[in-house]
Amino acid sequence: MQRTVRRKGGLDPSMIYKVFGAVLFIYLFLGFMVLPCLNTLTSIFTTRDAAGNLDPMAVIRFFFAGNMPSFVINSLKLAVCLVITVNVVGISIVLLTEYFDIKGAKILRLGYMTTLIYSGVALVTGYQFLYDSNGMLTQWLVRLFPAMNRQWFSGFNAVLFTMTFACTSNHALFLRNAIRGIDYNTVEAARNMGAKPFKVLFKVVMPTLLPTLFSLTVMTFITGLCAMSAPTLLGYNSINPEIVRMAGSSVADEAFPQARAALLSMILALFTIVLLTALNHYERKGHYLSVSKTKAKLVKQKIQNPVWNVVAHAYAYILFLIYMTPVVMIVLFSFQNWPAIRAKSLNVSDWTLINFFGTQDYSYTTSRGKQRIREGVISGVFSNADTVGGIRLSFVLSALAAALTCVIVVIAVNYIFKHRGKKRGGLVEACLLFPWLLPTILICYSYRIFFNSDVWYVLGKNLYYRENVRFLIVMAYTVVKLPFALRMVKAAFYAIDDELEDAARNLGASQLVTFLRVKLPIVLPSVLAVFALNFNALFTEYDMSATFHSSYGKSYAMVIQSMTAEEGRDGYNMNGSGRRCASTVFIMLVSGLILYLVYGVGARDLGERLERRKKRREFFARLTGRKQKTA
Amino acid sequence: MIQLKDIVVKFGDFEALHNINVHVKEGEFFTFLGPSGCGKTTTLRTITGFIEPVGGSVSMQGEDITHVPIEKRNIGIVFQSYALFPTMTVKDNIAFGLKIKKLPKAEIERKVSDIARKVDLSDEQLAKAVSQLSGGQQQRVAIARALVTEPAIICMDEPLSNLDAKLRVQLRNELKKMQREFGITTIYVTHDQEEALTLSDRIAVFNKGYIEQIGTPNEVYNHSATEFVANFIGDINPLGEGFVNGLGLPGDKHHFIRLERVRVNREKDAGEYQVKGVIQSREYYGLYIKYYIDAAGQTIKVIEKNDGINIYEPGDSVSVGIHPQDVMSY
Repeated sequence: MQRTVRRKGGLDPSMIYKVFGAVLFIYLFLGFMVLPCLNTLTSIFTTRDAAGNLDPMAVIRFFFAGNMPSFVINSLKLAVCLVITVNVVGISIVLLTEYFDIKGAKILRLGYMTTLIYSGVALVTGYQFLYDSNGMLTQWLVRLFPAMNRQWFSGFNAVLFTMTFACTSNHALFLRNAIRGIDYNTVEAARNMGAKPFKVLFKVVMPTLLPTLFSLTVMTFITGLCAMSAPTLLGYNSINPEIVRMAGSSVADEAFPQARAALLSMILALFTIVLLTALNHYERKGHYLSVSKTKAKLVKQKIQNPVWNVVAHAYAYILFLIYMTPVVMIVLFSFQNWPAIRAKSLNVSDWTLINFFGTQDYSYTTSRGKQRIREGVISGVFSNADTVGGIRLSFVLSALAAALTCVIVVIAVNYIFKHRGKKRGGLVEACLLFPWLLPTILICYSYRIFFNSDVWYVLGKNLYYRENVRFLIVMAYTVVKLPFALRMVKAAFYAIDDELEDAARNLGASQLVTFLRVKLPIVLPSVLAVFALNFNALFTEYDMSATFHSSYGKSYAMVIQSMTAEEGRDGYNMNGSGRRCASTVFIMLVSGLILYLVYGVGARDLGERLERRKKRREFFARLTGRKQKTA
Repeated sequence: MIQLKDIVVKFGDFEALHNINVHVKEGEFFTFLGPSGCGKTTTLRTITGFIEPVGGSVSMQGEDITHVPIEKRNIGIVFQSYALFPTMTVKDNIAFGLKIKKLPKAEIERKVSDIARKVDLSDEQLAKAVSQLSGGQQQRVAIARALVTEPAIICMDEPLSNLDAKLRVQLRNELKKMQREFGITTIYVTHDQEEALTLSDRIAVFNKGYIEQIGTPNEVYNHSATEFVANFIGDINPLGEGFVNGLGLPGDKHHFIRLERVRVNREKDAGEYQVKGVIQSREYYGLYIKYYIDAAGQTIKVIEKNDGINIYEPGDSVSVGIHPQDVMSY
């Protein structure tokens, strides 16, 4: 039997840490994954009737008797439609920029990828800004077509439209990589055998993209099913907003709202589990792997038919306009003063930075003709107490959760790799992947209900009470992000050559030193990327924020949502829309910076960094030399 | 220097090494040679301490080190992948072991620059990341890192296998030169018989967890102890009935002859057995030509030096001669 040589003699001092770590892991897993969800599940079957008798099937009966199925049907309808529209748009943008020879493809690609930095609640409110009844585009359209319904952008259509363009980020990333991985020789071979370009596309190219498309379809379906911000803000009765509504309701208002919310979240969980199981099964069957040893780079295909070529170009640029218009408008309007924003008119003379920095007073005349001044009611993102508070809270909570996720995952993956092929390694991995099976809303809802009383498990504390909710938010953020972090960090650990560890040990390094000085520096870029991507996602996260929304847990997303509420009423909150635009610009800058750091700076290895440092030094040396000469 | 006594290693129920006995002498270049999965790397990892045997002992300079932790064995290793730390510069890679030993900074500096000079690494290269070096330079760094801690022996696990053919030959010579200069006992693992023959003072030929033969390159090549060794090192012709009977060899054994020992179109020597044959095909290698000749009821492979004059065409009739003393019988 192979055994690795260990130091002999006495109790291994690291054993204490190992036992402590195991106990802590089990405590956290049970307390923040199993028990709250179990509580939600049992709450469905522990409802009591008016006489106080246990009636386990009450919610189920209520479900079929009341309007609850309509929420499920609405969510399913959205998910199904979204799968179609997102795939049509997603496949289109990838083919137009990567497969077909479309003029200006680089610019088009940038436009299509704006959803990577402009998403979530910021995107939904941005679309609202343009398309709702007072939106700029709606106003233009009404001027063109006076009979048009001003309220066209609400309900299902608005949600579908918004989410279609918001959910193509995965296509832009993963389908693009898949199409770039195609061996061009296969295309040439098909052409050589007489296949026409579109035949090649459908018979050679598309089949190789099917596995990726299947994964994207499942993920889009789940996104549609669990949609939160768009239905909430645009008014569509789907499952998630209803769960949040009922979570905040009481028995005085309606029949057992919590149990009904629990049932809805369990239905969502069932759908998710079935879909992810199907996805997992499909992925295990394997992908179409290129058998080519010398892969040729894909060459863009020119559309020979002039009519189709014009149609393709027109389609590409219309999509570009749909993607870019909200972004451009939001940026432009963030520099306009509030009267210009109200009038939805762009004017250089109305240029201002007030939506970002500083405060202004608002002077107005009352109905009795008196002149009044409201001090500081026009304020910038970084001068408005509410907004700054939201940013600060989201920043701290997101950073804490992202860091905690990384720490847990790095330690866990190191453990998993040490115990590869053993049951305990697999068990730790399964525990960390567990939240993947559960919809975010189920986890958050479960937390909210389970911890909204003095719970023995957390030393009799109510974690939903006052400031404690912030701890709950951090835990929810962390748990939800664990599966993604695990997959990314695990992939990074695979890159560590086993011989590196052997080499370090041979040179006298202990296991801890080997981990800290050899393994961690190798995976650090990936860990930092996971931290940055998680932070980015959580900073403007809406779903969880809405579930935990309270005066002590008002995150940035909730602040953005509330910015236009009661805008200007009684002279308060005059530039809410302007601040919202400025917030979106701020979010885009933060996201853009993070993506640059992750994929730009973070992707460089030591050699590239040293090379750049050398060039910088040479540049400054030349610069200094010239200056000295001039002097 | 290093002695393995009755080493047995098991992976689960599978016995990977069966009673391995090796004695490597001081300053010797000793090679473990064999095909994949024969146990050569397992033996090396047992010496270095990554694997603990279930039976037998490992001793170094007379001291039993079977249960001594890896880092206490004072054995340098050059890994197959070189295992250079990608997040460190060349200098930091070389200094890693010295830093772990907590040597004073000045001493680390001195030792690193000494070893860098010996393995021909410049100051500029020391400041580079390992990814900025060529394969050959990376190998030098790996050797420097293994040697800088002044180990008693150095173990190399197929360090040339990642390089292209030309560089492999070049570095093979450098490796031997360095080993001679440092005078360090070296244990080398390879599956490449040419590498083993050119580098080694002695070779242990492994097969299925056993050592088939230990000997000098000349011994294992010209006096192969077993059929496996004869077959694994170099190329051989199994002799069929025609040759066996013609040479008067005993029929209860297998008989082989190396390709270069078969004589084509030469004057018949005393005791030589000669038959007529026909060239079936040929392979041109530049320095030599390999012929496939139909003779004595079998196809026999022959290597002839390419002198540019005596080149036979398929269909040519030739004489094929074999000396009985060149036949290896098992």
